Amino acid sequence: MDLLFSIAVGAMFAIGIFQVLRRNVIRSVIGLFILSNAVNLFLLSSGAYQGVVAAYVNGSSLTASDALPQALILTAIVISMGGLALVLSLVYILSVRYKISDADKIKKLRY
Amino acid sequence: MLMPAEIVLLPVLLPLFGAALNLLMYNMPRLRGYLAFTVMAASLTSSVYLLLEVLHNGFPIVFQLGGWQAPFGITFVADLLSATMVVMSQLIISAGVLYALGSRDQCVRFPAFYTLFLTLATGLTGAFLTGDIFNLFVFAELLVVSGTVLTAISDDKYGVEAAYKYFYISLIASIFLLIASGLLYVAYGTLNMADLSARIAADPNQPLMPVAMVFLLAFFMVKSAIIPFHFWQPDFHTAAPTAVSALLSSVVVKLGVYGFLRMTTLLFVEQAQILRTVLIILGVIGVVFGGLGAIGTFNAKRMLAYSTLAQVGFMLVAIGWGTPLALASAIVYVFNHSLIKAALLMLAGAVASRAPVKSAAFQNVVGVGKSMPYGGALFLLGGLALAGIPPLNGFISKMTLFQSGIDAQAYFSLALIGFASLFTLIYIGRAFQKIWWEPMAPGSEPKPTGDSLLAPSILIGVCLILGVWGEPLLQLASAVASWLGDAQGYIQGVLVSLG
Repeated sequence: MDLLFSIAVGAMFAIGIFQVLRRNVIRSVIGLFILSNAVNLFLLSSGAYQGVVAAYVNGSSLTASDALPQALILTAIVISMGGLALVLSLVYILSVRYKISDADKIKKLRY
Repeated sequence: MLMPAEIVLLPVLLPLFGAALNLLMYNMPRLRGYLAFTVMAASLTSSVYLLLEVLHNGFPIVFQLGGWQAPFGITFVADLLSATMVVMSQLIISAGVLYALGSRDQCVRFPAFYTLFLTLATGLTGAFLTGDIFNLFVFAELLVVSGTVLTAISDDKYGVEAAYKYFYISLIASIFLLIASGLLYVAYGTLNMADLSARIAADPNQPLMPVAMVFLLAFFMVKSAIIPFHFWQPDFHTAAPTAVSALLSSVVVKLGVYGFLRMTTLLFVEQAQILRTVLIILGVIGVVFGGLGAIGTFNAKRMLAYSTLAQVGFMLVAIGWGTPLALASAIVYVFNHSLIKAALLMLAGAVASRAPVKSAAFQNVVGVGKSMPYGGALFLLGGLALAGIPPLNGFISKMTLFQSGIDAQAYFSLALIGFASLFTLIYIGRAFQKIWWEPMAPGSEPKPTGDSLLAPSILIGVCLILGVWGEPLLQLASAVASWLGDAQGYIQGVLVSLG
């Protein structure tokens, strides 16, 4: 399970970084989506998925899952959703104003 | 009756409350601005009270949210360093609101302008006051989103491009911080900064710790626009509305400096030597590169943005020297640079608002200053303060910095930054000459009215006062430095206190 999980997280990071480095702004934003999900999975891998019982159950003999990474991931998901929505809207305005999706050509700010 | 521990929350909650109230007043445009200024003034008062209280007590004021004790709940800590940073940032943000009130930009009339201003204040203050790494992420994200939207609605038609660059790199930085907090949680099982500090000192050989340290360093480097993560900064600070860029270039970049101070004196005390070496190298590169970049630009606001790169470099070098005197000089430098840079950017913006074409590019503002001699006097004073000429506060910060360098016997880095600080005189002198000495191009007239000069006058006045009577700030800074010298005080203050 651990091995499978780390391979999955690693693959998501690799795909995300590759996409982030693309010149097309839309592709690079998709890369950001993948990266932020990879980070959430990474936070989950700090032990939260190993438990079989929720942390608030009293008197259970089974392994309880760690509640803190779950709280972190929930917060991170909400915040990254807001951030990614904002970055998409910025990309939309850029595509309307510059009529181009090549990140290298978006360089009107000089001096 | 206010319990003493709850005043920690006031500088964070007051702007947030003001922001919510501001959203409700969508059809009262003038009143929105006055409300924002009132809220910021109240918040500034509460943060000054907080600083005095912490200074008087000698130990940090800690508030445990929801009554959960320190390693488990979310903690707000106002120690001397945080309280000083909060007072500094609230002072500049209040001046920024004052400038926005007298500004003729279109974007000031945007319904959510002051709301975003106040959420930016909340994010910055919260990031300084929080005692929890994950909470730092939340507040930093609030800060980033507010700053991005404020720049995207700028009058500059390329504001969206600058906002996109900044937001993209900041999202990557948030990912760095999340990775760092995940690694620290795996290695030490806590995210509370005091608890982490104690556990890292007890068990420094965890294999994931250096990785987390590097990711945290990268996060703060992006926040402070330090080479090699600096490329967004000149664009972003040039395209932002003047009232906003005055904040961004003066107090928002100090979040990273604050982070480096915390990293070297609280979180990674034993590993601090490595961090300090890195910071000295980055700082010297920043000083030289920022100075040369500022000389090579053709826009007054862009020049000041590059100058911020250089000035942050000075602070990094001081943190890198790491002696108590050097840390004190870093605090003095942080405080004084915020005042000077905010005032200079506001003056550059006021000049741009009077130019025939609204822009701070030198080709548009040549000779515009002829109609505003008072602004010229202020710009000259601010420029001399930035260069470190005696009767102003910049001299005090440069003097303590160089003295601490001699004291730390770091002659090589001292000689390099001493030489590079001469660049300041060159670029400030050139900007002054272009705007206030050279005649205007024939046939063009400056606009008769523009942005109000009230806010920069106040800031330059504070600069003059702190230059002539710098003793209180120096004493405060040395108190902060001696407080930072002992991480145990912070740890015990947070973990033992009953909130």
